[in-house]
Amino acid sequence: MAKTVYVGMSGGVDSSVAALLLLEQGYKVVGVYMKNWSEDLPGMKCPWAEDLADAKRVAVKLGIDFEVWDFEKEYREKVVEYMLREFRAGNTPNPDIMCNQEIKFKLFYEKAMAAGADFITTGHYARVLWAGPAGLSSPKILQSKHFGGPPRGPSPAHVCLARAIDENKDQTYFLYRISEEALRHTIFPIGEMCKPEVKKLAKERGLHNAYKKESMGVCFVGQVGMKDFLKKYIDVRPGEIREVESDKVLGYHEGAVFYTIGQRHGLYLNGMKGEVNDGMPYYVVAKDTKQNIVYVSKNLNDKRIWVRELKLRDMVFRAGPAELSSPKTLQSKHSGGSPPSPSFTYTNLSVRLRHRAPLIPAELDGNTLKFAQEIKRPASGQSAVFYLDEVCLGGGIII
Amino acid sequence: MIYLDHAAATPVCRKALEAMKPYYMEEFFNPSSPYLPAKKVASDYEAAKAEIAHAIGAKGNDLVITAGATEANNLAFTALSLDGSCRRLLPQDFANANILGVPLRRHHPSMLYLETEHDSVRRVAEALGGTTIKVLPSGVIDLQDLRDKITDEIEMISVSLVNNELGTIQPLAEIAEIIRRVKLDRMKRGLKRQLLLHSDASQALNLLDISVARIGVDLLTLNSAKIYGPKGVGALYMSHEAHLHPLVTGGGQENGLRSGTENVPGVIGFATAATETKKHLKSNRKKYQKLKKILLTELQGYELVNKKHSIDNFVVLCYNGIDAERLIFLLEERGVYVATGAACAASKGEKSHVLSAIGLSDAQIAGSLRLSLGELNDAEQMHEAARVINEVVALERKRVNG
Repeated sequence: MAKTVYVGMSGGVDSSVAALLLLEQGYKVVGVYMKNWSEDLPGMKCPWAEDLADAKRVAVKLGIDFEVWDFEKEYREKVVEYMLREFRAGNTPNPDIMCNQEIKFKLFYEKAMAAGADFITTGHYARVLWAGPAGLSSPKILQSKHFGGPPRGPSPAHVCLARAIDENKDQTYFLYRISEEALRHTIFPIGEMCKPEVKKLAKERGLHNAYKKESMGVCFVGQVGMKDFLKKYIDVRPGEIREVESDKVLGYHEGAVFYTIGQRHGLYLNGMKGEVNDGMPYYVVAKDTKQNIVYVSKNLNDKRIWVRELKLRDMVFRAGPAELSSPKTLQSKHSGGSPPSPSFTYTNLSVRLRHRAPLIPAELDGNTLKFAQEIKRPASGQSAVFYLDEVCLGGGIII
Repeated sequence: MIYLDHAAATPVCRKALEAMKPYYMEEFFNPSSPYLPAKKVASDYEAAKAEIAHAIGAKGNDLVITAGATEANNLAFTALSLDGSCRRLLPQDFANANILGVPLRRHHPSMLYLETEHDSVRRVAEALGGTTIKVLPSGVIDLQDLRDKITDEIEMISVSLVNNELGTIQPLAEIAEIIRRVKLDRMKRGLKRQLLLHSDASQALNLLDISVARIGVDLLTLNSAKIYGPKGVGALYMSHEAHLHPLVTGGGQENGLRSGTENVPGVIGFATAATETKKHLKSNRKKYQKLKKILLTELQGYELVNKKHSIDNFVVLCYNGIDAERLIFLLEERGVYVATGAACAASKGEKSHVLSAIGLSDAQIAGSLRLSLGELNDAEQMHEAARVINEVVALERKRVNG
């Protein structure tokens, strides 16, 4: 009997093609639109109704069942509240990571399984690999009939989250916190493809959203809307912008929570000509959320911007390839939760500090990430995600 | 393409388009300007207004031109007084009620409106604290409910002439007669309170012979976009009993009730369309009766929702157990365009208040399709539409039943 898979359909081309591929592989496919947010914000209309119509249109075209699951309440509690809490604390959180952890790969996963799903699918660019005695294996999507779940044969040890074939689109940065249980029941058909192939396939099969502009970044407000969004929910007061070296007041800000360390744009400094506007940009180097002061500097080499180490919190450890888990180099034979032992080291990690940022070599000592060279410090609240070759080993939130 | 959604939008008729053209690049003058060419435009504009008014048996001066029916419906409610006092509703009252969602403080409801009204009436009426009048399962107004609810505080009653989802024609003359009796009774008792009848006739002008005197309305909303005229133009007819207050103030155009430079080409197009549609009223009705019959004969497995008292170009079908929105997408792929009032993505997941009001179950509402016929349709298209709709319904039934 055909296995049942529930596909999270956003109305975009990636999840549409994911549904299409699974259907062609012989799965029984059910499309689900997750309604997480529907409120319009100042200056921007929330596109949920159009997205839903796009998703449903594709489902109808494919002739599959389609449902709308309303997660608005949970999204607000688990994602928006978390985000606001982090901003209030002076951090710059990543709501997409939380959305994947709490909504897509938890609530959606659980509800789908309860509804009779064997697997769930999303349009993420990522892969699921199975680590067994024989090494890593990938159930090949475009070749085999059944590519979901553990491969047959000697019992595979554990499931790994691996980067997409299309390095440029890889989304594992947003997925590093999802549970292993959900991952065991997840198929990422798009992870084996390159974006142009996905678009081409959509076009060939007459999916109308082949040219649809994809949503970027924070799913519901985008980069530009964040400030307006925060203004609605966080009671902010204007405060001073000071030069960190001289403690001189250079200007005023609308609220320290809006500023991110390293930020260069959107600083409205009212200093004297030649003193401030000498062509050299100021950067935010520190925030004092208690005093509501934003500190800036022209010194590009400020030690608050350039660091060799990062401290992490709320770390997550994912399973890695079995043959790599020798004690010296890597201890990773567990999934999720706490580190293997109080004193452990990952020596040859690659680390990603932003979505699509280059991989940087690093080692992890306890909760300290150590880099060979100075790196530009990411904002606190953002994530550092670890990789060993193509496998994502987890990550943590930067303190 | 087979377009079966004329209740949503109509193409501009060629005559209207031709009539509008000179007013874009040649006769573009502001009617308020003092020189002769501008005065010619002003007089053309007034003549066009008179032409529109003529279509409903009124005079040009009885009309306020608006930017569509929604604005006309909003403007109609300014005839209400605030809390029974002398103070009229001011634009800021509307702003507070509409935008901020703050209901106006009224001790008693002062207005009644049919529960199946279009949102452009419903939202304002709700915000102003109005009370709904029930409809019968046929979609026609429950006159007894109306009689029961006309208390001494009621100043205005709003009932559309033709419902936009079902095509139900409301018995306005009968309503007007009830109102006349109430007014008489109020006069006998020395009670001095206005009682106005407003009707949204957006969907009606192309098939019904409307005369404001005959149907007895004080306020009537007209819409150019539904009668093969340009979009963004509408009008509100007002009797001498209705005293309106502007929602848009400025240069004092439209007798001070709607400021802003006149939409000359729009009104010219509206007038031409109104005259054209009036000319073909009878033949159009016959045409749609014929086309409707083809559909109802050749379509299979449906239940007709608007059986009685419906305008000739509306066909509302219910396919039990089917999600009509899926049908829309399947039909769209086959070049057939229809609408649904049901819970669907396009309507932000809210189920139709009209279909609920006539007592349809959620499943019936989900399975309802609205076909509205028009100029673009002919008999051949109806045969083809019936064939395609039957085909996609069968397809969906097969999918649902496995």
